[in-house]
Amino acid sequence: MSYKTIPLEERRRLREKKYKKHNLANILTHWFNVGMWLLLLPTGIAIISSPRLGLSPVWWQEMFRNLFGNTANLIHFHYTLGLIWTFVLTFNILLGFRKYFVPFAATRMLLDKDDLNWLRIKPLQMLGFMKDKPLPPQDAYNAGQKLYMYVVILGTVGIMVSGIVMTYNAVFPPWMKQWAQPLHWVSVFAIVAGLIIHVYMGAVFPEEKEAFFSMFSGKVSAWYARAHHEKWYWLKVKEELQWEEQVAQEVEEAGQTKIVEGRKTVAERKLTVKPTAVD
Amino acid sequence: MDSKKRYGFVIDVSRCIDCRACQVACSVENSVPMDQTRIWVQDLGVKGEFPNLERTFVPYNCMHCEHPPCIEVCVSGATYKDQNTGLVLVDQQACIGCGFCVDACPYNARYLDKRRGVVDKCNACLPRVERGQQPACVATCVGGSRMFGDLNDTQSDASITLKNARSVARLDYEANGHDTDPNIYYINAPSMAGLELPGDSRQPLVTQSGFLPRDPQYSLAEQGWKKVLTPLLFAGIGASFLVQAVYFTKQLIEGENEFEE
Repeated sequence: MSYKTIPLEERRRLREKKYKKHNLANILTHWFNVGMWLLLLPTGIAIISSPRLGLSPVWWQEMFRNLFGNTANLIHFHYTLGLIWTFVLTFNILLGFRKYFVPFAATRMLLDKDDLNWLRIKPLQMLGFMKDKPLPPQDAYNAGQKLYMYVVILGTVGIMVSGIVMTYNAVFPPWMKQWAQPLHWVSVFAIVAGLIIHVYMGAVFPEEKEAFFSMFSGKVSAWYARAHHEKWYWLKVKEELQWEEQVAQEVEEAGQTKIVEGRKTVAERKLTVKPTAVD
Repeated sequence: MDSKKRYGFVIDVSRCIDCRACQVACSVENSVPMDQTRIWVQDLGVKGEFPNLERTFVPYNCMHCEHPPCIEVCVSGATYKDQNTGLVLVDQQACIGCGFCVDACPYNARYLDKRRGVVDKCNACLPRVERGQQPACVATCVGGSRMFGDLNDTQSDASITLKNARSVARLDYEANGHDTDPNIYYINAPSMAGLELPGDSRQPLVTQSGFLPRDPQYSLAEQGWKKVLTPLLFAGIGASFLVQAVYFTKQLIEGENEFEE
């Protein structure tokens, strides 16, 4: 792979250098979501007690019913938290729609040709084939993450809609309450199937260690970006170069105006804070 | 299911005159909506040839089955068989009124309360029973047709009446892997009603249409989930877990290195 030819000094520099991958809004929403899933998933599984479905062990159902006193309390806990979860996520998305959601969807979620190739090669590599074939360069999220993102978004909407139908049982007709149940669990289990991989890759898998800490700091090293998300890395480098060019231009303009006008400009006053940039 | 008590109804069919006072008492006691009823009286019609005519009325409510088909479809356990009393009850705080149990009950003993969005049914007036009173329908029955009591207790009035009955019949539903084992015992039915069998029979015996228990019904939302989606989801989650487990084991065996990339 291409990054394996990078010499030691450059590698050291890349390991030190950090790029910002996640903004604060994403980090907070992510950990809020984690907390809610940790509370909602066990209680939800405990509620499903139909022996015809056989989805949860009886001891689990009884443990949670004993913990909460009875079935009704357990269900009330589940849907009260569920409503808070629904409200906060919806609120966050609406509040940050222009600033966070639209750019995120436009730059980080769309699948391109490299992603499709990645999806063709990666599963085979995991099974032990085509080990020597290089993987196509990836964006800020790789193709697998992107696919899972769609599952999560659709599943979350499915969980929220069906959850609201079942919570406000006096409002909705029986046929909707009947179909809301399978919709609720299909969505949950589809997300959980990916969640197992997500948690493993994020928190345990050694190569992705940086991804875990980036969910607190928001930052990853340039080396990690280069190795795992190459397209995004070059984008960051390009942004950085553009910024450097812009600064250089600003400095130049500030110098000219000083000569012409003979008094300090706003740009110049800013520059005095960072005198090294003048050179 | 074993329960300390096994509350049930013993109904003397020969004593029912179709006055429906039980229905009124039930509706008042339990605030049942005007267009619904928890209990009712089935008219089996006039039987026989003049002048030997019989007309039989069969009081009806939840059979509080030993093996109720309604309970196994309830997803949340909102409807359950109470371990202490043996009664089949609905916790309406937990019920969302999806109606799976209404479809599954072979006796049509349940209904959807559309206003509150929950399922409602006979609870044998449990609050009254806990105070030592009889259920409203039993207390109000003018002919003494309805009796209620602990059938596990051989000294209860209901058990003694049942023991001394001329005939006993139950509307057992035994098919498709079900055996409801109902706890309403119909006694002393006139011979022509078709309700009569000698002794304590476990066989269903009524042939009039609309009176026999019907097959439990399962809607597509209930069935499709069970037969198709559950295996699919378990396969998905199983595969995902397996992949994770393989990589984790590999990681444990190979160890970790801080400068590994």
